[in-house]
Amino acid sequence: MKESIAAEAALAPPKEPSRPGRASADAARRRKRLVTVTRPWLLLAPSLVVLAGLLLWPLIEVGKLSLQDYEVKFGGGVGTWTGFDNYADLLSNDLLWRTVLPNTAFFAFACVILTVGFGTLVALLLNRLGTLWRVVCSTAIMAAWAMPAVTGTYVWVWLFAPEDGLMSKVAGGLGLIDPETTNWFTERLGFYAIATLNVIHHGFPFVAITVLAGLMTVPKELYEAGMIDGASAWQRFWRITVPALRPIFLVVTILSTIWDFKVFTQIFLMPGGSGSNEEVMNLGVYSYIEAFAKNDYGAGAAAAVMLTLLLIAITLVYIRTLFRQGEEDL
Amino acid sequence: MKRTSIGSRIGLPAAVAGLLIFTLFPVYWMMSTALDPRASSRGSDILPSGVSFEHFSRVWNEGDFDRYLLNSAIVGLGTILAAAALSLFAAVAVARFRFKFRTSVLIMILIVQMVPLEALVIPLFLQMRDYEMLNSLLGLTIVYIALSLPFAIWTLRGFVATVPKEVEEAAYIDGCTWPRMFWSVLLPLVAPGLVATSVFAFITAWNEFVFAYTFMKDSDKYTAAVGIYQFFGENDTAWGPVMASSTLITLPVLIFFVIVQRRLASGLAAGAIKG
Repeated sequence: MKESIAAEAALAPPKEPSRPGRASADAARRRKRLVTVTRPWLLLAPSLVVLAGLLLWPLIEVGKLSLQDYEVKFGGGVGTWTGFDNYADLLSNDLLWRTVLPNTAFFAFACVILTVGFGTLVALLLNRLGTLWRVVCSTAIMAAWAMPAVTGTYVWVWLFAPEDGLMSKVAGGLGLIDPETTNWFTERLGFYAIATLNVIHHGFPFVAITVLAGLMTVPKELYEAGMIDGASAWQRFWRITVPALRPIFLVVTILSTIWDFKVFTQIFLMPGGSGSNEEVMNLGVYSYIEAFAKNDYGAGAAAAVMLTLLLIAITLVYIRTLFRQGEEDL
Repeated sequence: MKRTSIGSRIGLPAAVAGLLIFTLFPVYWMMSTALDPRASSRGSDILPSGVSFEHFSRVWNEGDFDRYLLNSAIVGLGTILAAAALSLFAAVAVARFRFKFRTSVLIMILIVQMVPLEALVIPLFLQMRDYEMLNSLLGLTIVYIALSLPFAIWTLRGFVATVPKEVEEAAYIDGCTWPRMFWSVLLPLVAPGLVATSVFAFITAWNEFVFAYTFMKDSDKYTAAVGIYQFFGENDTAWGPVMASSTLITLPVLIFFVIVQRRLASGLAAGAIKG
């Protein structure tokens, strides 16, 4: 709302006090028009240069690299064009279909569902609390959010460390596992369960805060009317809250999908996550290992391009969603 | 809507307690392990076996963590200064002017933000190596400026848009030129948003791992996020020092986050909802 008002105001250029003399006024007006046309671009130029040089240009380079066999020699690398060989190798690789893609997709799927679900529950909880407890809880949520990915991952690894970790001791004490022999990190399921917990802990605050902001905009009268009509809390949630917050849920879900598909640090820093255990690789780690551990930059680039295309497809859905919501005048 | 059933009288406090434990326990476990002199063998003891700063002093003196933190701070400061200035200009351009390709520029910024770092790190590594910018804090700072810009522009745009146009017009009527209006009117009004955005840019740089790990091969150029890696072994990890250095990395971020949390939260929410 506010934005469209600002946009309308922007259409009408500010009027300056008229100066004496028709000719000079004409020249001044022409100069002013020139300034209005060029000023936004002058303001944008530094940012666009940086973004083009460091984000757009590398994207083109990585595309070119994926079509080459790139060898590192003294005094620089040499690339030989090999067409789509890297992609052919990648797509015929059993590891990709059996391990890497399922890991990436199932992990992202689980993280998105759980992050959005848990974040929504927390938002509903915060919405019911009094001011004091809401401040306490949202500060705690902020602490979870502020935890850097690197240190957060180490803490979760420490909590689940074989033998000495808290969770291993507790599970061993309850007789669920034998702490001497159990290592959760070596199995795919255990590894990704811990990674999921880590990602949820880091990711739900954004969902909770955003959904809470949305909840506060839903008119109270709707709920009162619902209660008078005898709707249960469950019905009120599905018939009033969910439809009213549909746009917010869409945005939050798509953003989470994008973020969870490209989780890298949290996987890479876990035991075995940096390539020594192929079972737990995801697409990002696979690309990084191919490029930097095996020095096969072409193959790494091909995997990176694949991940990028996947993310761009999701992003386009996101942008279409934004436009559908009547944000045509971004 | 005051309604107290038995369910909500017990359920609500239980839910709050659960939430607080889930969010804060990892933070508590990190800090208490860092202070525990017998860290690796504490097992399931909720309280540390004692309080000592030996892990911190080991990390600080032998682990060179003072240097890593300084490197991180230099990179972070460089990132904020550049990102704040660039994103403010760009945000004013997209929020205050209507021009051809404005929407295209905005969409491009949005798309570029979604690109995975693994796709960028390969070509940028090769490029930086050719320019001999590996192991350079400046090279890393430049990359972080680019990484933090899209989000900064997107968020600041919301803050700029909330400044009423009338305020600007009043300045023009008083005879201000555009640059004067920008400095004396717009900038002070957007300052809170600028602070929040800068903090976020700082956190991006402070927390980043992939680029720092790939670019910085000299141990005296490590940032804190990479420096911690040396205590971490596949089989044998010194958990006391790891948690002490984790605490050192986390504390500044935690403090910044709590300081700007309200502004950041509302700005983020606005940015997300409005796109």
